[in-house]
Amino acid sequence: MNDPTLAIRLRDIRKTYESGAMKVPVLHGITLDVVRGEYVAVMGPSGSGKSTLMNLIGCLDRPTSGVYVLDGVDVSKLDDNALAAIRLQKLGFVFQGFNLLARTDALKNVALPLFYAGVPARERAVRAAAALEDVGLGDRGHHQPSQLSGGQQQRVAIARALINDPAVLLADEPTGNLDSKTSDDIMALFDKLHAGGRTIIMVTHDEAIARNARRIVRLLDGLVVADVAVGATA
Amino acid sequence: MIYLEEAVSVLLANKVRSLLTIVGLIIGVAAVIAIQVLGGGMAGAIDGLLGGMSDNSFIIFPNQQQSNAQAAAFKLSDMQTLKDRVPLLLDAVPVAFLSELVRHGHDEGRFTLSPESAIPYDNLPAQYGRHIDADDVAEAANVAVLKHDAYIRLFPNGGDPTGESIYAGPNRFLIVGVLEAPKQGIINASFAGEVAIPWTTYVQRFLHGNTLFAARFVVANPATIPQAEADTIAAIRSLRGKPDLVYQSFDKSQFTKGIDGVFDALTFIVALIGAVSLLVAGIGIMNIMLVSVAERTREIGVRKAIGARRSQVLWQFFIEALVLCGAGCAIGWALGMGIGAIVNDVGIVRLSGTVPPLPWLGTLAIAAGFAVVVTLAFGTYPAYRAAGLDPIEALRYE
Repeated sequence: MNDPTLAIRLRDIRKTYESGAMKVPVLHGITLDVVRGEYVAVMGPSGSGKSTLMNLIGCLDRPTSGVYVLDGVDVSKLDDNALAAIRLQKLGFVFQGFNLLARTDALKNVALPLFYAGVPARERAVRAAAALEDVGLGDRGHHQPSQLSGGQQQRVAIARALINDPAVLLADEPTGNLDSKTSDDIMALFDKLHAGGRTIIMVTHDEAIARNARRIVRLLDGLVVADVAVGATA
Repeated sequence: MIYLEEAVSVLLANKVRSLLTIVGLIIGVAAVIAIQVLGGGMAGAIDGLLGGMSDNSFIIFPNQQQSNAQAAAFKLSDMQTLKDRVPLLLDAVPVAFLSELVRHGHDEGRFTLSPESAIPYDNLPAQYGRHIDADDVAEAANVAVLKHDAYIRLFPNGGDPTGESIYAGPNRFLIVGVLEAPKQGIINASFAGEVAIPWTTYVQRFLHGNTLFAARFVVANPATIPQAEADTIAAIRSLRGKPDLVYQSFDKSQFTKGIDGVFDALTFIVALIGAVSLLVAGIGIMNIMLVSVAERTREIGVRKAIGARRSQVLWQFFIEALVLCGAGCAIGWALGMGIGAIVNDVGIVRLSGTVPPLPWLGTLAIAAGFAVVVTLAFGTYPAYRAAGLDPIEALRYE
């Protein structure tokens, strides 16, 4: 059951939202394995449940039923504080809107997870500088988000997501706010991370962007309807 | 401390808003601190005001409105009788005033002459010579002690006047002493005139008839004054055989108690104003913190997604409220100390002649206490709200 080669193991994951007396089932039983080092795109029309799945994988929410093992830890039943610790240590988030802290320079943004992890200030600064260097922004450490382009902001966000060396990098429409040239740059960076052995799960509705991944999982009405390697005919 | 750093940068990013938020706090704390400073100054001022009044004397006046006013009045002969009958009394002397033209060479002025005993009612230190003593009283000597006002008028060139003579009407007096200038400039609370002569001399030269305006009694220990007052009034009533005679008594402690009472009432009112403004200020701070939490919902979502625990978000907003309240209390403290020091300087120092020490430690403790209490009372709920936000909802917030 605890296959050490798996980064993510989902078994019959169901999620039902209750609003008043109404029960709204969103996920109807998702079973999915992601091997370490895989680069997976999750696609699906709105209402397919892909945001809900993303929130569950990102440990922002708990499934109504089913088992979720992340990096060898069963996280399906953990409480809020334990989930926060899992997010801090095992997950890195990249958002469509970058979500950097305003009035806070790039270095401090990147170092934020280290602060929550209790890393001393000196070490935070050194590691944040190295992480910015890795995404090609070594010279922009003291720029505020408002002084950076969209692509640069997303690179800062990626550096922040990777600073704690997470088991999985979760990207939610990472190119949604970027022009096509910049999108290509970000995708090139993802390729590089993938080549370096990073496990990446990316949600997108853009077919061209999804094709950068090595595997595409398609959702419809709360179920996995297709799961194919890129290059094979879907 | 990254929380502190972030809190300061957030508050500085909204300078006007932060400042407006803490105005109420500044006013409330400043009021409370200022009244503390003034309280310390007032105690010194009251003492300074009454510095020339002996605190082991009390004066008894017969009530002039009563039908028995004639019977109630003190007679000269009562003085010795009362001294004999009331064991607490060391001395009993007439209280009287006489306005007279007083001359020294070509310098003259109209001054009040008053009877003095060997235990002076006006206990300012002597600048030259000495006070009236027991021999002066026993011999009904023609000697006088000048207060400062009389001295500067009659001896405009200054110098030691003891041994020289002055004339009050046709009566010649040898000057044996001059008292130092009193510290107070406004209230002369003492019932002593500018020229003091032995009370026996006063009686011989100036008292017409046997009836006194009032009488002064001296005790060894000021704490026994209330008892001595009661005993003396009881003695004079029994002496006259009229138990319903009405007297008023007056001593220094009554005077200071009166002023203390006024000041206590003032302190209470200012403390009340301070408390109300702190309450209003606290509500304002809570309001602005709630606005801040709402504005930064998305930021809170990001922090939580990154892995911030509930307690870490709580701390962040709590520290922000603490910095806000701390700044307000610090400014209020400085303002209150400034106002208190200025009022002390222009008012109380002139009255009392002494510079009261500023209560640094006590007021700092009060200001720090206010900061902590207001933060706990009004910063906790917004911080709790922030910490309790659902990260998914918060991230979706526009």
